[in-house]
Amino acid sequence: MSKRLVGSAAAAMVMVMVAGCGGGSQADGKIELSLGLFSDFGYDKLIEEYQASHSNIKIEQRKVKMEQHNTQLATQLAGGRGAADIVALEEGVVSQFRASKDKFVNLAEYGAKDLKDQWAGWKWNQGTADGGEFVLGLGTDMGSLGLCYRRDLFEAAGLPTDRAEVAKLWPTWADYAKAADTFTAKTPNVKFVDTARNVYKAILDQTEEGYFAKDDSYIAEKNDKVKTAFETAAALGTKQQTGALEPFSQDWNVALKQGSFATTTCPAWALALIKAGAGDAAAGKWDVTTAPGGGGNWGGSFLAVPKQGKHPKEAYELAKWLTAPEQQKRIFKETGNLPSQPKVYQDAEVQATVNEYFNSAPVGQIFATSAESLKPTYRGTKDSKVGPVFGTALTRVEQGKQSAAEAWTQALKEATDAAK
Amino acid sequence: MTVTRPGTEAAPAASVSPSPEPKRFRLSNWDARYTPYLIIAPFFLVFGIFGLYPLIYTAWVSLHDWQLIDGNLGFVGLDNYVELFGDAKFWNALFNTLSLFVLSTVPQLLAALGLAALLDRGLRGSAFWRAGVLLPNVISVAAVALVFAQFFGRDFGIVNFLLGLIGIDPIDWRAETWASHLAVSTMVMWRWTGYNALLYLAAMQSVPKDMYESATLDGAGRWRMFWSITVPSIRPTILFTVVTSTIGGLQLFAEPALFDPGFAANNSTGGSDRQFQTLVLYMYEKGFRLFDAGYAATVAWMLFVVVLLVAVVNFTLTRRIAGKE
Repeated sequence: MSKRLVGSAAAAMVMVMVAGCGGGSQADGKIELSLGLFSDFGYDKLIEEYQASHSNIKIEQRKVKMEQHNTQLATQLAGGRGAADIVALEEGVVSQFRASKDKFVNLAEYGAKDLKDQWAGWKWNQGTADGGEFVLGLGTDMGSLGLCYRRDLFEAAGLPTDRAEVAKLWPTWADYAKAADTFTAKTPNVKFVDTARNVYKAILDQTEEGYFAKDDSYIAEKNDKVKTAFETAAALGTKQQTGALEPFSQDWNVALKQGSFATTTCPAWALALIKAGAGDAAAGKWDVTTAPGGGGNWGGSFLAVPKQGKHPKEAYELAKWLTAPEQQKRIFKETGNLPSQPKVYQDAEVQATVNEYFNSAPVGQIFATSAESLKPTYRGTKDSKVGPVFGTALTRVEQGKQSAAEAWTQALKEATDAAK
Repeated sequence: MTVTRPGTEAAPAASVSPSPEPKRFRLSNWDARYTPYLIIAPFFLVFGIFGLYPLIYTAWVSLHDWQLIDGNLGFVGLDNYVELFGDAKFWNALFNTLSLFVLSTVPQLLAALGLAALLDRGLRGSAFWRAGVLLPNVISVAAVALVFAQFFGRDFGIVNFLLGLIGIDPIDWRAETWASHLAVSTMVMWRWTGYNALLYLAAMQSVPKDMYESATLDGAGRWRMFWSITVPSIRPTILFTVVTSTIGGLQLFAEPALFDPGFAANNSTGGSDRQFQTLVLYMYEKGFRLFDAGYAATVAWMLFVVVLLVAVVNFTLTRRIAGKE
């Protein structure tokens, strides 16, 4: 009796485990494709359309938070099962996954190289390896840089509010810091910028090499640009001109609602986050202008196909369709995610797009101009391990726990460890 | 059912005519001997699969250069352990873990004891109060952490607001080590005090009432009765709660993780300078952010050893303290 009980318990367990792991892929004769995404790629309508025109395909979207998505994907790749048929890789981590490219399908096998000219050259390169022979992912959007500011708070501080004049206020980040001083002198109770970390990140995203040289060697300690970016951002923190907020956190949302900071760095995808955080009450108060220091790219993603999937060909076809110019244009109109393809962002209709929430700012034109002039940063394989170290260092400065010099020294030491 | 002792079946078989008796005896003997093991076997089977195997596998991983995605990159012996002992971040995490454990567990168990004593006095609507103290434990830890993270907010937090009313400057709860430990401990205490109080209460209700009566006749006060009768009588329960709180306290993860706004962005180090990074948080950082599974496994094993040591020490200490029989 008890033996049988053990037996059936074991059998039940095995069944549960099998049911848990097996991604049924042939229900009612259709090929099921899963799409592992984070935040809003704007694919809902497109997927319905694709299913309508491809009657043998059924698509399931899995959306989780980006950070969770990355960790999950790493464990799924390690375990050899569980990953979606198509997964999104964010620009900050794509280099890390590129190092494990043997877990992914080389999309060149399905002819991806023919699509090369659709994308901005740098975007295409970020998604490839082995000198372009291995195509890891097809580019979705990009995060060309702008700067968002509160018109009412600028007016209160006696600064210009017109976006062209505001842009003239800060051709460089040093000028931006000067504007911060003027602002703080007039309205000391409002923070000029949300966090030193985003300023630092934005400055660094305007250089071609950050922590790593293009040959993937670690150069953070001798790259003056990293140090300058850190010092510029840290100075804002030391002068208490930042809100010392964790970017895009709950506190950040609250601060947006309360209107407790006046500017924030704005990659194209950040507009939606600001709108969601600040709410309808702040409609028309925020505006977008060009960022100090010229163009830069922060964020944007790729669609890749893990090798463990059962239908690599169909997955590739879907990824190809979702990242095609026509679809990118539609996504831009719907969500504001900036296309990574010059032909699309130069399109007259895209250029003419305005964002009503941001005081009808001509976002199409602002971001496209920024995209034209941008110098993409080379992301080293260990970029995503090194970067956060400098972020927490800036937080220590903002918290008043360390001087800028102390924080820099500690960060360099930790970064060197992380880059090993 | 007849109880057969092993001796009976050794009775001389020759004098008895062959009958099914001895066989049946042997069968029931077998039954009495082994059935209990078979009945508890499923537990050990499950424990073996989900407890012992991961434990051993983790030890195996910790002896390798093992990356999360790329897997085993070669045997390195005890290198990970050597590195760990020289790793200031590990010692910092160990200190934080022990500090948070002491700060949350000691007041928690004392408060639970007091709470149980109050509940034991037969309040009006006792069921209501008893259910009430368990409520914080029923609410998901994520919800509790979210709410407390708001309470302890720097700019708009209610705790700083209240402190402001009595003239204390706002505290940056995530920046200072002691402040962050206090805040995280509060969260743990909020969740577990009621639970432990109920365990104590159940034990207190089985203490014979006549002991109190004779103590009263002897002129003992409430306080004296509590320490001389109640506490020694519920000693087994106290030992149990001390051991479970030790294990839980040293494996603290969710509360400090969610207290750190950076956790959602996956760059959490438990504060800007690891002010409240516990061992489990450090393990998570190594394993799931830096993808160094080998090193994370090493941290996991050290945590296992620490839990074992502290549990044994606590068990012995508590048995001494509460041990007036």
